[in-house]
Amino acid sequence: MMRNEFLSRPLARLRAVVVAVTFAAMLFAPNAVDAQWVTTFETFYLQASHNWVFRNNYQHADRLFNAFDYGHAILYETLLTKPNAPAAELETRIYDRLTTQVLVRPPRNPLEEMAIEPMYTRLAPEAKAMFDWSHVLHRQIYDVLADERLDIASKDREVQRLIGYYKTRRDLAFSSKPKSMELMQEQSYSLAFRQKYPKFNGLIWGYHWFQVGLYEPLIVGTTGAERQAGVRSTVARFWQMLQDPPRTLPYQMPMTAAIAPLFAQRYPEAAIIFDNLHSMHDVVSDILANPAVPRNQKRAEILRAGRLFRDDTSYVMPVEGWRTMSIAMGLENMGGAAVNFPRALPIPTVTRGAVMQHDRQTGRMTGMKVGQMTGEHAGMDHGAAPVMPVVATPAAAPGHEAHNMTVPADATAVALPLQFRMLDDPVILRQVLADSVLRRKLLLSSDSLPTPQRDSVRKRLNFSVATP
Amino acid sequence: MMRHSLTALLALMAFPLHAQTDYYNTDAGRPILIEDAYALERRGFELQVAPVRLSRARGGSYTWGVEPELAFGFANRTHVEVSVPLSFADRGGTRGAAGISGVELSVLHTLNIETSIPAFAVAADVLLPVGRFGPPRAYPSVKGIMTRTFPKARVHLNAQYTFGAAVTRLSTNTTLPTVDVSRWVAGGAIDRALGLRSMLLTAELYARKPLDSAENVEWNSGAGVRYQLSPRWAMDGGVGRTLTGSAQAWYLTAGGAYAFGLPWSAR
Repeated sequence: MMRNEFLSRPLARLRAVVVAVTFAAMLFAPNAVDAQWVTTFETFYLQASHNWVFRNNYQHADRLFNAFDYGHAILYETLLTKPNAPAAELETRIYDRLTTQVLVRPPRNPLEEMAIEPMYTRLAPEAKAMFDWSHVLHRQIYDVLADERLDIASKDREVQRLIGYYKTRRDLAFSSKPKSMELMQEQSYSLAFRQKYPKFNGLIWGYHWFQVGLYEPLIVGTTGAERQAGVRSTVARFWQMLQDPPRTLPYQMPMTAAIAPLFAQRYPEAAIIFDNLHSMHDVVSDILANPAVPRNQKRAEILRAGRLFRDDTSYVMPVEGWRTMSIAMGLENMGGAAVNFPRALPIPTVTRGAVMQHDRQTGRMTGMKVGQMTGEHAGMDHGAAPVMPVVATPAAAPGHEAHNMTVPADATAVALPLQFRMLDDPVILRQVLADSVLRRKLLLSSDSLPTPQRDSVRKRLNFSVATP
Repeated sequence: MMRHSLTALLALMAFPLHAQTDYYNTDAGRPILIEDAYALERRGFELQVAPVRLSRARGGSYTWGVEPELAFGFANRTHVEVSVPLSFADRGGTRGAAGISGVELSVLHTLNIETSIPAFAVAADVLLPVGRFGPPRAYPSVKGIMTRTFPKARVHLNAQYTFGAAVTRLSTNTTLPTVDVSRWVAGGAIDRALGLRSMLLTAELYARKPLDSAENVEWNSGAGVRYQLSPRWAMDGGVGRTLTGSAQAWYLTAGGAYAFGLPWSAR
């Protein structure tokens, strides 16, 4: 038997080990090692018969998601690696590439984002893992809702199973408690991205509009053919948003309860998770884009934000407040409805990227921190005007105290049955649903009604009445 | 000729094929030997379906090999795998021989995910004395892996050491060649991803010292491509050559891996 040369020289081996350890110690200071030693991991998606059904049945829509993955990834990589690049790098060069090439010929497969954003992944792999895990949930729910073999009860059961599976990764899962918009847009670093890159920011919000909005035709449709037609219509609407950017892109972050009200009503936890996910996307963009956050602090800020979006205590608001806030932000400011929409895009009622403030308990709008109302709402001083007395509750409609939209008590007895009768007319209802401003006003005015009547109005207007 | 076949078989069987799900997570042997430091996803399975390798040694002897393999991500950043290499050796124009070349069990654990610190992993495996071409005894190995990502490319470094008695020729009987094992392997690879195409281009250079004490250190090179065909299927193909030594064999390899998961929820 031959003795191995390496093993036969213990002194040489010991010397090699010492050199290696010394080199490593020099290379990484202990604190740096602690902060940078990351042990997150990936988990495979839940194996099920509905896996990849959406991909197979709705290829044209599914591939757009792959393109969205690229858009998110190249955004983060560019913000991180080219901090001094002119705004045109993202606003023109990369935006044009995305909208004229990548979205037009989207990738066939879901992308490995680490291959697109290697430096961002190195910066904050924990945050990337949070996004990846939520995207898995996104895609698996599309699969369930697109699976024609499943009846409604089975779909409900499967979605709940997916949400349960998602929550098994407590280190990655976004909270299913609604978070106030303060967490997204009132931090020290907030708004940097939307102010420097308004067009790209609008594109990202367009992505998010599509990602949550696409659930709606899958739920509204009662047959496979209707779902196919609905998805095609929603896809077409997304393309319409790209026609004259940034004017035609969303002016506010699309909220799931507003864009996909039936989905949010049926699966409120999923809707809240996706809103938190999309908020975190914006937060990461702001941290990366904001030069006031030193480069050596960006990782720490991203991880902090991740913790706040995962826990069930920070910036939490009631579910009903979240619904009210979503409506008060204005469907017309978020790109409009995802189904039953009119031909023209809605006209926003706020300036692009405006920051509305809301009461964290009720969700009612209390003022505008940045930007202003436009059109017929221009000049309104939200929160400053006296509150009109209303039926059933002393508070005004959320966020519109100054609009004098409340219903005098003596008029309600006459107006309410009339309103119900009109909403029961399918032609009128269709027109109301297609008019996002009118729909919003009716929803807001219903806040002042007793609960049964309020829920009845909301049900007719396809707005959530259930709570998780 | 016998020696050439032996060398070619070595290239087929000496190294574990660590499995991972997608095109970006490289596998030892799929298509190059040097791999990255990332384990298969937790709760994920990967079935290497008929990865084929054809080697041709100087002198014209050919060796075919197929190594079906199943890997499972059974814990955080950790997977196990089992593979059963099958080989067919053309013995210089005479009748060839086919058989199992051992059974290989291995485990890979990723120590950390890359940040400003490279990703590190450790692996251990054992080649069991099973089959006509299998080794006469078990050969355990340990391996260290490092992956470092740069904006345009990734670099991987691997170092493996095998325990066990050195031999001049391993044989399960007097007539057939059998698997050889490396005493050590050390090398590096560089790869570049084409993200929108879900494709990875990769190349490697490594040295190995055969367990056969009569053999010198060999230098080997290889290059290949990995491609994501669908969410569940990743394909690969490659070519390589032994740059030194007596055989200076070249090889072609092609394969596909199918990924799936557990159908019940985790706790």
